[in-house]
Amino acid sequence: MALRDDWRRVRAIVRKDLTTELRAKSGFNSVASLGVTILILLGLALGPDAQALRDAAVGAVWLALLFSGVLAFNRSFQMELESGALDALLLYPGPRWTIFAGKLLGNLVFLSLMALIVVTAGIVFFNVPIPAGWPSLVGVLALGVLGLSVLGTFYASMASRSRAREVLLPLLLFPMLVPVLLAAVTASKAILGADLMHESGPWIRLLAAYDLIFLIATFIAFEHVIES
Amino acid sequence: MIASNETFVVAAYAITWLTLFGYLWRLARKGARAGAGHERIVGGSGREEAR
Amino acid sequence: MPSSDRARELAPTRSPRTSAWFAAGSFVAVAAAQAYSVATSPAEGDMGHLQKIMYVHVPAAWMTFLAFFVVLVFSLKYLWRKDENDDLIAASAAEVGALFNGLTLVLGMIWGRPTWGVWWAWDARLTSTLVLFMIFVGYLALRGFVEDPQQRARWSAAVGIIGAINVPIVYMSVMWWRTLHQQPSSAATLDPAYTMGLRLNAIAFLLVLIYFIRWRYEIARLERAGERAAEVAAMGGHLA
Repeated sequence: MALRDDWRRVRAIVRKDLTTELRAKSGFNSVASLGVTILILLGLALGPDAQALRDAAVGAVWLALLFSGVLAFNRSFQMELESGALDALLLYPGPRWTIFAGKLLGNLVFLSLMALIVVTAGIVFFNVPIPAGWPSLVGVLALGVLGLSVLGTFYASMASRSRAREVLLPLLLFPMLVPVLLAAVTASKAILGADLMHESGPWIRLLAAYDLIFLIATFIAFEHVIES
Repeated sequence: MIASNETFVVAAYAITWLTLFGYLWRLARKGARAGAGHERIVGGSGREEAR
Repeated sequence: MPSSDRARELAPTRSPRTSAWFAAGSFVAVAAAQAYSVATSPAEGDMGHLQKIMYVHVPAAWMTFLAFFVVLVFSLKYLWRKDENDDLIAASAAEVGALFNGLTLVLGMIWGRPTWGVWWAWDARLTSTLVLFMIFVGYLALRGFVEDPQQRARWSAAVGIIGAINVPIVYMSVMWWRTLHQQPSSAATLDPAYTMGLRLNAIAFLLVLIYFIRWRYEIARLERAGERAAEVAAMGGHLA
């Protein structure tokens, strides 16, 4: 019974966040635009040689996602902070993990939509041929976005309430995402290159393990972090 | 080859000692500042209400 | 009780004389260990005496990981017991750890330049150590940007623990990333003839690590007392 109430809380938070974002579309649109802008800048900086761009494509897409992602994560807590609603949320009885779950799911949806847009732009601007194994590519993307969202949401719950949120979130988050970056980029490159050496398997397993480990760890840690 | 191997070895040990003494120095200065601040609190009890 | 009494409680308990002896002793130990190692290790092949850099580089790396372990342990302890001192010990270990981490990286580059011909070769070990350094920096930055001491302690502990969990994962992923591309690795396996010198240097560095962390911790306690007194003064009352 209690679990159903908890999930109701989670859904309520997700619904609230998503409807707010969708109503004021400016939020998603501007962050997604930034992602594409970063990608374009990378194209300008690393190109125009077609082969060089093709080699750099995967890295560029992931960097664009990372840099625009931090904005999304900080925003996910900003709404509550500005209206003081976070304290109100904390006053309600109920487990804290529901807040984290709600925020995480909201960010997951946000980041997934962004990933679609940025990847599409990457395919276009960096001349990436779509490989036969593209479903695996989608899998890698999904696992990477999950890892990114889990840690991004967690660190943003602190950084957004600190004195220097713009710099603190990347400073905390980026070193932690090194395994995600390496795994996602290496696996994707392998899949794009027909993966003759079956390199992508171990990396995908690493990503999955990483996501699971930090999903659990952040949920536990969130209890200690959310109180004011 | 920008310098002999020996130069690099000497540089390594020099930087190590510089770092150790440098941090020692930083701790000494930090300690002095913290100690002075602490003295002010301990000595400034005249401002406190008497129980 | 008046804040001055509480502040006095936080005064360092160690006499200045013992700490000076410990300081001198640990530094002398480092010098002695280095002298012994440099004297007893022969030049080898075309690398000449470069191997001697390992006597400072490797112990510095070990101290880095040890310091991070201390951060992990006391972060866990803080979340369990909510004893402020544990937070201060963790923070002190983080600062000293960052110091040794920076030293490790610089020494690695000094070894790498003549060995590989480049200042940085994205070698697996050094790259992992670099990422660890970024985690340390993030931890210390967080502490710098959070005002409320309880919140700072709780957040640091969470960040320290989550960060520590990532250390082996980072190491593994960077190692895999590198082995795909057959690159030079740092001289991990030393000739058994060198191990004694390495151990001596490691023990000496350990003494310095302990000394630095202890002193930093005492300073942190004094600073914390100052913070608390300022809080009280701002509220116009005295500490209960």
